[in-house]
Amino acid sequence: MEAATRTTIIQPDVAFLRDLEAAGGGDAKKCFQCATCSTVCALSPDNAPFPRKQMLEAQWGLKTPLLRDPALWLCHNCGDCTSRCPRGARPGDVIGALRNLAIRHFAFPQFLGRLYATPKAWPVVFLIPALLFLGIALLSPSGPAEAAPEFAHQFPILILEAVFFALSGFVVVAMAVGVWRFGKAMKAAGGGPILPGLIPVIADAVVGGRLRDCQDRRRWRSGHVLMLSGFVALAAVGTVIGVGTMFGVMETPLPLGSAIKIFANVAAVVILAGSVILLADRLSDPARRQASGWFDWFFLGSLAAIALTGVLSQVSRLAQAETLMYAVYFVHLVLVFALFLSAPYSKFAHFLYRTVALASVEPKRRLRI
Amino acid sequence: MDKKIGVYICGGCGIAESIDAAKLAALARKECKAQAATVHPFLCGGEGLETIRKDLAAGAVNTLVVAACSPRVKTEAFDFGARTVVERVNLREHVAWSHAPNDEDTRVLAEDYLRMGVARARKSEAPVPASDQISRDVLVVGGGAAGLTAALETAEAGYGVVLVEKQATLGGFAATLKQRFPTQPPYAEPLADGVRELADRALYHPRIRVLTSAGVESVQGQPGMFDATIRTEAGTTNVRAGAIVEATGWKPYDATRLTRLGYGASPDVVTNVELEKMAAEGRLARPSDGKPAEDVVFIQCAGSRDPEHLSYCSSVCCMATLKQAGYVRRQNPNARVYVVYRDIRTPGQCEAFYRKVQEDPLNFFVKGEVEAVGANGDGKLSVTLKNTLLGESVALMADLVVLATGMSPNSADGEAIRALEDAQTRAVKGQTEAQRAEASRKADELKRHAGTQILNLAYRQGPDLPALANGFPDSHFVCFPYETRRTGIYAAGAVRSPMDIAHAEEDARGAALKAIQSIELASRGRAVHPRAGDESFPAFFLQRCTQCKRCTEECPFGALDEDEKGTPRPNIYRCRRCGICMGACPERIISFANYSVDMIATMVKAIEVPEEDEEKPRVVAFICENDAYPALDIAGFHRLQYDPGVRVIPLRCLGSLNIVWIADALSRGIDGVMLIGCKYGDDYQCHFVKGSELANRRMENVKETLQRLQLEPERIQVTQLAINEYGKLPELLNGFMELVREIGPNPYKGF
Repeated sequence: MEAATRTTIIQPDVAFLRDLEAAGGGDAKKCFQCATCSTVCALSPDNAPFPRKQMLEAQWGLKTPLLRDPALWLCHNCGDCTSRCPRGARPGDVIGALRNLAIRHFAFPQFLGRLYATPKAWPVVFLIPALLFLGIALLSPSGPAEAAPEFAHQFPILILEAVFFALSGFVVVAMAVGVWRFGKAMKAAGGGPILPGLIPVIADAVVGGRLRDCQDRRRWRSGHVLMLSGFVALAAVGTVIGVGTMFGVMETPLPLGSAIKIFANVAAVVILAGSVILLADRLSDPARRQASGWFDWFFLGSLAAIALTGVLSQVSRLAQAETLMYAVYFVHLVLVFALFLSAPYSKFAHFLYRTVALASVEPKRRLRI
Repeated sequence: MDKKIGVYICGGCGIAESIDAAKLAALARKECKAQAATVHPFLCGGEGLETIRKDLAAGAVNTLVVAACSPRVKTEAFDFGARTVVERVNLREHVAWSHAPNDEDTRVLAEDYLRMGVARARKSEAPVPASDQISRDVLVVGGGAAGLTAALETAEAGYGVVLVEKQATLGGFAATLKQRFPTQPPYAEPLADGVRELADRALYHPRIRVLTSAGVESVQGQPGMFDATIRTEAGTTNVRAGAIVEATGWKPYDATRLTRLGYGASPDVVTNVELEKMAAEGRLARPSDGKPAEDVVFIQCAGSRDPEHLSYCSSVCCMATLKQAGYVRRQNPNARVYVVYRDIRTPGQCEAFYRKVQEDPLNFFVKGEVEAVGANGDGKLSVTLKNTLLGESVALMADLVVLATGMSPNSADGEAIRALEDAQTRAVKGQTEAQRAEASRKADELKRHAGTQILNLAYRQGPDLPALANGFPDSHFVCFPYETRRTGIYAAGAVRSPMDIAHAEEDARGAALKAIQSIELASRGRAVHPRAGDESFPAFFLQRCTQCKRCTEECPFGALDEDEKGTPRPNIYRCRRCGICMGACPERIISFANYSVDMIATMVKAIEVPEEDEEKPRVVAFICENDAYPALDIAGFHRLQYDPGVRVIPLRCLGSLNIVWIADALSRGIDGVMLIGCKYGDDYQCHFVKGSELANRRMENVKETLQRLQLEPERIQVTQLAINEYGKLPELLNGFMELVREIGPNPYKGF
């Protein structure tokens, strides 16, 4: 009976199987374990190859090992496995679906995780910030009539600051809880300590080092590098300006010639270029297009739209086109809010989970620039 | 009738460019004493053939030697009727195309071949075919899918059929199924068994006589005239048949030997056949307590592909399991099906069915090995698996465990039954204590064959078809399906090889056709495969027989019976005309009208052996005409060149080689003898099953004789060659010539 104590009793989780199918991983049932996927995957490590094993676990509905499997995060969804699968089991899609289920599983609060997981919820996602900003615009005291139009006249800076700082606080907490849950699961799955591995992993992510292994995805890599660096730059600028204005050190709008303004504008263009490249990459390749889910489109689409509306707001403000200026800025604010709130539950969250997973399993990953 | 030899030499296809055909014709007239010798530049053309026909019609010649291309080609052109002996001399492939043109050695080679051809023609007579009353009925044993199909196909072709079925009703195993797995497009859903319709058609067919609850008591005689005694509930009945189809099907592998997989320990471990029965009766439940089966684990390859059990794959168990998974899932939509496999084997388009079943979310497949099946305490069974693709050992909880067991042939090994009977006799009548002990040990080893008889053939070599590997009564895996080692008896369906219903039906059609061919050929006194159409048969000069029994024991087809004293009693319709008996006979009393010990010996003697000082060694190569001879022809097509010191003599089978020919060759000063036969062994290709192997065995004795004569045993070389190995021939022949040169000349030259 000694053998029995070492073996795990396995029972399929039927509800999980239904969730997986709903999330777009139903083709896992077609897998017949030839391991072509693991063989063609450029990122699959030799000592723990994926996604062959994950496909089997997905067929069997083995929720616990799957959701804490770092392999989900080692995958960058290039679609090589899906296009080479002889059985049409679409391993890339299955892993993508599993990632979404994992994000939803670790999400805090759970209902927001479920909300963001489905495209059906998109009106809600945009309606809440739309109502909020419409209210602000209508209720806020109008600025001096003779003065040149300013965003602050419709959307007072202090109110926006309050909204976004509250939102940030919430997002940070939600992310922290999610990451903490995830980290615990990783540890239970036998992962290493996370903190020591963070720095090299983040540095690697910024330069897109891992994507270098995906031979035929050079465009993707450059898009990813542009988008991520632009994003980091804008996040930094946003925080600096937010904090600066709050303490009265700065006053918006900043003069066009200020260093921060120039830096922010460059970052916006970079992020726009990056997200457009990534969108084009997904749209032009049928396999990638099919492999992309709601998470991907929502995230990339919002990001491109935010960059675009941001630049447009500024241009229309400089042109003093009053109606257009407020409308574009309104859309910009709604998108930023929606994307911000989605951060712990959407594609955005992969940044966090991936970083934690990589730090846990590949702390000594060589940095390649 | 006096032989009037006409030699016709063709100059076409490059022959005239290589040798002086006119000189060869002169040699034919002068030395070979041919009545006519003609050279024609295009012998197989209308004009060339007309020359031959004119000579025949004028009575100038009555026996033909055609020195042209290989006897394997232009057979119709050079056929001048069954009564005219035609010997072919292969000047094209074996001389012109494979040796230096206009060379002295090439000329000598062509001359030798002509001498040998004329010698052969002088000794050859046109065979007179046997002509007995032949029954045109076919006896089909077994009334399942294969037997019914064989019976219906035979009857539809106009032949009478007697169909014998052991059970009270027709249909065999197929009739016990709930459904059969899909065997036709779109391969998506199981089908109705379909065998009931076949059974009805057979029952009411005017040319089929159905005998149920019946068995074969005995079968006497030979193809064309088998006399079978059939035992039925009403008594015995006698049937005469021209051919027999054995379609006795299969039985599930004995699961009581699978205790490792829990069979016998719990009633909830069942075989796939038992599950099928449960499904057909409409209740899939745990046999132990009748509770519903929520978790059902199928274990594939249960006792299959396992050297301790069945070493082969039965090819149907995977599909059966996929079908049965559907039974479980349809009866209970919440039930979970687990399939533990080594490889899912769904040949051909059956893959579509696998795909379909796989897509059901509650069918779970895993590759792995079953470590143990045991009780779990809560009424469930636990199945532990190791080496799974999940990467760890896992345990599954099961209400029902289904062992997908494979197919064993429902056959009887005739040779083993005979060996058992012999051993039992020796165990009593053996001369020494040790002999008796050895015999009873042997009898013990074979006792599982006791009482397994199916056909009860009255054959000297045993009462049933000989089995090849794993008990399947097949004669040859690769080339000749349905063929068994008993002429006129064909195996079809799962008794021949594991197969599904669709393949069994297809097999039965082939076997029915073979049975009809056998009858038609027998009615013309002709041989069946592989010498189909041969009218010659062995004649025995029994006054000189010493009752050594070698012919009766060595015939691969059990053609010879024996009387009480051990004198062979030939059954020529069982004979395949290979001549293995002729090779075996130490008294040389067996011969064919156109193939005899004397004929080949004369050919050997027709070879001119150069004097020792000429330093031209001579080698005779006896080669099998089924594989080695065509290989040598192909070598010729490819213009592969080899040593002209080799003289090739084709044999019907290397097993027909009589060792006296070797003695003749060596005593005439021939420096070496090569024997090239077909490959044999597990994946053998010998057309006569045992011929090449027998020749090899006989050579061991010959080599001892050589040593006594103080001749080097290396002067004889036995080789096996497959037909596609023609590229090896030049190296093989040249290498042997080289060896013979090294050994030095045969000291018997000139005696």
